[in-house]
Amino acid sequence: MATNSIKLLAPDIHRGLAELVAKRLGLKLTDCNLKRDSNGEVTFSIAESVRDQDIYIITQVGSGHVNDRVLELLIMINASKTASARRITVVIPNFPYARQDRKDKSRAPITAKLMADMLTTAGCNHVITMDLHASQIQGFFDVPVDNLYAEPSVVRYIKEHINHKDAIIISPDAGGAKRASLLSDRLNLNFALIHKERAQANEVSRMVLVGDVTDKICIIVDDMADTCGTLAKAADVLLKNHAKSVIAIVTHGILSGKAIENINNSKLDRVVCTNTVPFEQKMKLCPKLDVIDISSVLAESIRRLHNGESISYLFKNNPL
Amino acid sequence: MRKCKVFVGNSHAELGRLVCQRLGIEPAPCSLKKFANGETSVQIGVSVRDEDVYVIQSGSSSINDHIMELLILVSACRGGSAKKITAVIPQFPYSKQCKMKKHRGAITARMLANLLIMAGADHVVSMDLHASQMQGFFTKPVDNLYGGPSLAKWIREHVEDYQNSIVVSKNPGGTKRVTALADSLKINFAMIHTDRRRSKDLYSQNKDMKQLKMRKQSMLRKNRPIVRPGDEENEEENIILTNGIQTARLVNGHVIDDDEDDSYESGAMNSDQEGSISSDSHPIGGSYEAAVDSDDDETAEEQQEEKLITLVGNVNGRSAIILDDMIDRPGSFISAAEHMKKNCGAKKVYVVATHGLFTGDCLEQLEKSDAIHQVVVTNTYPIDQGRLKYSKKLVIIDVSSIFAECIRRDHYGESISVLFESLASL
Repeated sequence: MATNSIKLLAPDIHRGLAELVAKRLGLKLTDCNLKRDSNGEVTFSIAESVRDQDIYIITQVGSGHVNDRVLELLIMINASKTASARRITVVIPNFPYARQDRKDKSRAPITAKLMADMLTTAGCNHVITMDLHASQIQGFFDVPVDNLYAEPSVVRYIKEHINHKDAIIISPDAGGAKRASLLSDRLNLNFALIHKERAQANEVSRMVLVGDVTDKICIIVDDMADTCGTLAKAADVLLKNHAKSVIAIVTHGILSGKAIENINNSKLDRVVCTNTVPFEQKMKLCPKLDVIDISSVLAESIRRLHNGESISYLFKNNPL
Repeated sequence: MRKCKVFVGNSHAELGRLVCQRLGIEPAPCSLKKFANGETSVQIGVSVRDEDVYVIQSGSSSINDHIMELLILVSACRGGSAKKITAVIPQFPYSKQCKMKKHRGAITARMLANLLIMAGADHVVSMDLHASQMQGFFTKPVDNLYGGPSLAKWIREHVEDYQNSIVVSKNPGGTKRVTALADSLKINFAMIHTDRRRSKDLYSQNKDMKQLKMRKQSMLRKNRPIVRPGDEENEEENIILTNGIQTARLVNGHVIDDDEDDSYESGAMNSDQEGSISSDSHPIGGSYEAAVDSDDDETAEEQQEEKLITLVGNVNGRSAIILDDMIDRPGSFISAAEHMKKNCGAKKVYVVATHGLFTGDCLEQLEKSDAIHQVVVTNTYPIDQGRLKYSKKLVIIDVSSIFAECIRRDHYGESISVLFESLASL
């Protein structure tokens, strides 16, 4: 049992999730000042003592200005460290740069590894994240990483909001087949796969659907949706193959660029994202968006981590 | 090659010899011995001061000894003032442990990466890492070569009517690898999913639907490929339908026929009940990892229970090529091959992989299975001569030229990115 207490820190932008987590834990966010100088540099100070406390920095990285958020986070970690915090945990549900996790081309950087090194160098002792793009990213860190799953929350959402008896789980690309198959196992459903063949020179690109979706409610699952172009195209393919309706459920709804336009113009019935990425403003623009709240999972993991309890329960179950 | 020494470890002397032969040099002299108490002793028999050193060591059955040997060899070269040390590890050991399996699992591949860097390696060359993200485990550059082009070349040359064959993934996790090969060969792909929990009801549902599907499939086959021009803004995008799901039951790792399965009914019922109880106890539960990792080896215990095997895709009347990065245990390959051959009408089933580990009697079991036509691997991992002679189905593709070319280019500071595509099938 820890004898010290929890201090929750959050940057000034995207505080929504942090406030939800704080409410669930029955705590207040620690006062701190984050100022941006006119030249763009960040000044940060914590307004109360954190000496020997357990610090949790809850940060969300949305679309746009990712690098600003990252640097603010690093400065916050470092400020906490120099203020003699006992342990600094970064709660970063949507890990930035997670897609650059390997050398997919010659001479490509592995930026996810760089991010991991930067967080560790700044002084963080523990990382809590959710649905990492590749679970190997856990191995990029020299400090413990708890990779939580949105799946229990997604399963719950499907059971409560979708008539899942007639549903089929769809993976929009080959890489997500495993995710889709595990979710379909969980719900006792079939699953199918859409594969996009890369266009060769002088050849048209085409989408291949593997599996039968006739008269089914198709639930497309993925870990990340960015511009939603692929989702929209996948919906077209599915409906052409006589699907009844198409719903997309993604963990990280980054929804950048023309995403809202793409969703509004697409044949998708609904796009459901967890609130790992802030998209409140976008919900006003797009009636098709829906949200799964995962603050309970984060709050419970913080509580368990602080009290030295096992977190593995959260891998299977969704706390209320 | 001036100022260059290639050391060959004990794990795979044959591959090392072939690489040196291609480079036109002799392996650098060194004595790799073991003391009576089991400690490894390494002595380098030539000066390495200011030289470019390459150490070739693959995985093997006495894996820990050979890892230690590699680390000591690298460390000895570092101590001998080598300019640059490159560890050439065709099959990276412990690469299956590249993520946290279950809860509280160690990421051993990362630890091994750290050990290598600690010992003094400046550069690592490997082939078909289990996950390409493993490159991020190292703080030094890693070149991950591909076995795919060599395998693709073999398929083009040896699989009859390969344009009509299908590349199959034996689990959903490997689909990405499979689609890459299918794309490069410009052929279709399918996927097999083995399921531990699905209730009997769904199976009988599928059985009823099967008749319907068969009819639908035969219709599809008549006018295949169905190419429908995309009717919206993207006119260049054609959509091809590949329908068809085939389900069968697996008992003890073997496919059983629909007609002869009455004796298993009672057992099946029991397991169904157990299944429903356990799933009831976690009404909203479930996790990506909690379901036994479908990527990996099945334990004997799991093989006992009845499972459902599902083929997503169509292999009827075609050759099926099961592709994976390594062949370790035979179970999933055999059941996949049996399912495709018996229930899905596949003509021939090939099992193709980069690394042929063949743990235990894996090779013999693959050999025994009637459903498997041929087993194709590269020579990244040593295979016992005795087993080799006995085997009739095994084909080994030599990839020493890829490693030799990589070493040559690396030594002369040339780009190795060409190796990823064009040269790789030399």
